Amino acid sequence: MEKKKQEVILSIKDVSKSFPGVKALDQVSIDVLRGTVHGVVGENGAGKSTLMKILSGVFQKESGTVIFDGETIKNTSPIQSMKSGLSIIYQELNLVNTMSVGENIYLGRFREMDGMRGTHTKAKELLESIGCTIDTYKLVSELSVSEKQMVEITKALSFDSKLIIMDEPSSSLTADEMKELVNIIHHLKEQGISIIYISHKLDEIFDFCDIVTVMRDGHVIDTKPTSAFTRSDMIAKMVGRTIENEYPERPHCVGETLLEVRSLNTNKLHDISFELKKGEILGLVGLVGAGRTEIVRAIFGADKVKGQQLFIDGKLVKINKPIDAKNAGMALVPEDRKLQGLVLPFSVEANISMASFEKMTKFGFLKRSTEKEIAERQVKALGVKTPSIKTKVKSLSGGNQQKCIVGRWLENNPRILILDEPTRGIDVGAKYEIYVLMKQIAESGGSVILISSELPEVLNMSNRVLTINEGRITGEFNPQAVTPDQIMEKALGLGKEELKS
Amino acid sequence: MNNFNTFKKLLKIATKQKAFLAVIAMLVIMLFNQTNFYTSYNLFDLMNSSSILMILAFGVTVVLVAGGVDLSIGGVMVVSGIVVIKLMNNNIPIWIAILCALLVGAVVGTINGYLTVYQKTEPFIITLGMGMLLTGVAQMITDAHPIPCTNPDFSKIANGKLFNTIPHLVIVMIIVFLVIHWVLRYTSFGRNCYAIGGDYEVAKYSGINVRRLKMATFVLCSVVAALGGVMLSSMLNSGSSTYGDTTALVVNCGVVVGGTSFAGGIGGVPQSAIGLLVFGVLQNGMNMLGIASYIQIICQGIVIAGIICLDCYGRKRRREAV
Amino acid sequence: MSEQLNGKKIIQIIFSEYLVLVGIAMLVLVTAILEPKFLSPQNLNNVMRQFGPLIMVALGMTFVIIGGFIDLSVAGMLSLIAVVTISLIEPLGQVPALLIGLCLGAFCGYLNSVLVVISGAMTQAEALFITYGMSVVYGGLALIFSGGSTKQMSGIKADTSLFKEIGSGNIGILSVSFVMFLGILVLLYVFQNKTFMGRAICLTGGNKTAAKLAGIPINRSIAFIYTISGFMTALGAIVLFSRVTTASPVIGKGYETNAILAVVVGGTTLVGGKGSVLRTVLGTLLVILMSNCLNLLGVSVYMQYIMKGAILILAIWLDNRKQL
Repeated sequence: MEKKKQEVILSIKDVSKSFPGVKALDQVSIDVLRGTVHGVVGENGAGKSTLMKILSGVFQKESGTVIFDGETIKNTSPIQSMKSGLSIIYQELNLVNTMSVGENIYLGRFREMDGMRGTHTKAKELLESIGCTIDTYKLVSELSVSEKQMVEITKALSFDSKLIIMDEPSSSLTADEMKELVNIIHHLKEQGISIIYISHKLDEIFDFCDIVTVMRDGHVIDTKPTSAFTRSDMIAKMVGRTIENEYPERPHCVGETLLEVRSLNTNKLHDISFELKKGEILGLVGLVGAGRTEIVRAIFGADKVKGQQLFIDGKLVKINKPIDAKNAGMALVPEDRKLQGLVLPFSVEANISMASFEKMTKFGFLKRSTEKEIAERQVKALGVKTPSIKTKVKSLSGGNQQKCIVGRWLENNPRILILDEPTRGIDVGAKYEIYVLMKQIAESGGSVILISSELPEVLNMSNRVLTINEGRITGEFNPQAVTPDQIMEKALGLGKEELKS
Repeated sequence: MNNFNTFKKLLKIATKQKAFLAVIAMLVIMLFNQTNFYTSYNLFDLMNSSSILMILAFGVTVVLVAGGVDLSIGGVMVVSGIVVIKLMNNNIPIWIAILCALLVGAVVGTINGYLTVYQKTEPFIITLGMGMLLTGVAQMITDAHPIPCTNPDFSKIANGKLFNTIPHLVIVMIIVFLVIHWVLRYTSFGRNCYAIGGDYEVAKYSGINVRRLKMATFVLCSVVAALGGVMLSSMLNSGSSTYGDTTALVVNCGVVVGGTSFAGGIGGVPQSAIGLLVFGVLQNGMNMLGIASYIQIICQGIVIAGIICLDCYGRKRRREAV
Repeated sequence: MSEQLNGKKIIQIIFSEYLVLVGIAMLVLVTAILEPKFLSPQNLNNVMRQFGPLIMVALGMTFVIIGGFIDLSVAGMLSLIAVVTISLIEPLGQVPALLIGLCLGAFCGYLNSVLVVISGAMTQAEALFITYGMSVVYGGLALIFSGGSTKQMSGIKADTSLFKEIGSGNIGILSVSFVMFLGILVLLYVFQNKTFMGRAICLTGGNKTAAKLAGIPINRSIAFIYTISGFMTALGAIVLFSRVTTASPVIGKGYETNAILAVVVGGTTLVGGKGSVLRTVLGTLLVILMSNCLNLLGVSVYMQYIMKGAILILAIWLDNRKQL
């Protein structure tokens, strides 16, 4: 059925790109055919997003050629590539929140659209053409996530795109919204538009992709029609061989309850209650924005809560500020290293000693020698690679920066260590060291709450997993007893949809 | 439940339109006092005395909408006001003198824009320094004494009255209002200003020439401030350097009070007009009520600090709600 | 090759880090050559006395800027404290007046911090406008308190009195106000570098979110920086009116911009987090010397505004290039 349009619209040949310390893409070659849905799968860090950013002109490639629609593309910019018919819908949405839907669709093309009225009429027509009924005068900030996605797709269509790249579009959609997206994808396909669909959810890939490319560690492993893949085949190709050595043996020393959270409520969280045992690594699984980070921030006193009761060792504790949490023996390694974790212009020493002022102050005065001891102890214990403790933390690599934050908290001997995306953007070796560290903490009687977008990481390290969806806990699993799919299902909120119907 | 929702909606409108409500409240208070507030003479006087600040405010609005801030407008105003007088006193025709004054504004705006956009410096301190510098220039030219204007026609530009009732200054203010409102609302330039103020990166990726645009907002703002300076000189019939110090801060506060946020991307000229009216009505009303001038100063300070605090508080609430 | 690079690097470091020293040296050199009176003991004493009020305000401002905020209210505050304290000397006596003046400064500063904390202002621009509003309020209060007229220092009968000493006394070759400054400088230096609160202020300025998440009491840091600024402004007010023996209700005008100028020129970055009171001393020295030199050379006082504005712009621009 697709034989009549077997024409190559996009041809990527031997494209390479490296970042400091990492070869993000190594000699990648992919051909995309006109009017097909081309799936690209791979784990986080496989190079999918980097490749797409090169195509859209956000990054520049180091070598190789890209031929789009018969023309060789060199040093393009986002707007040029959009105008040439290649649009991308990013994971993080690219809309101006303070402006209306119509204006966002034609952003930067106000004059070409004959002013305000033309913009809105054309936007309305375009939205209706994909069966969408959003009011074009509404502000984007008032839309739901899926509606924003529709606006993004419409924006892509407004450029007469021949190829639309969707970078994990489903990561924040409910099941119903997903169906809508699938309809639109089929609709686009009928019009001869090609789609590159990036995802790591295999169900979707098998559902509607015609051809699949599997990527791993910056390489293309295989490209085949979807029908030629089996599920296990694809997974094997995605994760590769080293899966056993990537993680240390998980600790097995779960004791009695250490922390109990009862009826935690905020604007985004609803009735969260769970327990954390001594010596346990508890994984929180959910999509970005599901409420994982919000839960730990609320427990840690970083956000305002409507109500919550926290018990540590059975005793009620009141936590209003992070400092209360610190005194109760908690530690939080936050999600965003640079914005929330480090004080970048300061030295390694100052960054490590930040949470240990009780130890190093006497009558309000700093004891410099103690501060130095603390910093040197943690640098040594964690193997932070830094020329000296006076070095500015800004100049360290991601992994070493992360270790500084972890070291900051370890100095307090926390009983509850909360790690929010601890391995994001750091290299494999440093990852392994952080896993070992988690294990050590658990084995020495502490507990760990682990949040990660990398499912394998959570599944391989945790003793227990909670799934979070739309601010609610939707399930509790033993990761050794169930399959990842069962967990993902709950994390995507599919169970709830079934309940409704 | 339904009632509650309406209440919530009302509350939302109230927090959004706080400047408007403040003006209404003040007008109502004046209704219950036996003063000459509600006479056409006084109302025109009110408009007239607010007009120059409003003209400046309309220019600043464009910069704030695009995510910048300009504290040099006071300096631009006095310098261009003095330049126009100086040139005319040297027998240069009025129109050329005015054009030169506007050109001064354009040059200052270009420098501000270049430093903030291309050199990526923090705009509010840079423009504060620029304001200081320009005030110094104005004082040096005038030796801190007003320069009287020798051209008898010049004063009519601001002080003449259409149909013997509406001062020309008010008309100029309204024209500037309409032009900038139209620019912000209905032109590509204006909409792109909202885009870069709302989300700089997205605007950049959408092919908007963000740097040139942001630079243009600074130039526009300074040219408008220069026009304000010309009108000030015409109103006073002399060039004076005394108003340069605090004008910029008052005007920026007024614009923010109206609802144009520091964060950029929201607000507009009508809001700024209302924001400036808060100060205008407050001052005029207090004058009418015979409140001592020092108390008036304190009230003005409280209104500035209070409303800016409310503005920040609203943003804090929104940050925490997410 | 490497030596050349080193030489180049050293020059670069001098220019980027200690440009203000180069500026001061050049200023002194040029003025000393053009106008020999500059180096006369009388003029140097004069410089020392002019230095007093501004350095106090600027040292306070240093902490505000290190903490990532800004304080425009010092202008109004200085006027208010000066007129209140000078009027209280006669009815209450010198020591109570002095203490009330200092407490008033600390209180006004604390009030600023309460507004900043409650409103949740995060950026310098927000703090700038809030403190500007407060400056207007304090200035208005100064006008009410003084009835708009300049207050004379009166009620001091003894030959040696507290305020006279502060204003014109000498200890050895140094003026009393300069000795006060040295003492306070040591205190503040120790505070910034050796105490918990000093560090907390730096960390708050460096990254508010990270500091909060690491258990640093950022609200208390903000309270501290504004209270210190208020207290130092009060000291500045006292040193100032002791010297001139009068206090007008607009005496503080211009001190806010001069203090910011001194801090920024000294090399404390406006980004927050990094800076030092020692740098501010150099910055203030440059500002004061510049006025003095230009006065001696007969340059108009208005030209000085222009130069100050230009130097402020230049200093920020250079600082920014350093960041890049």
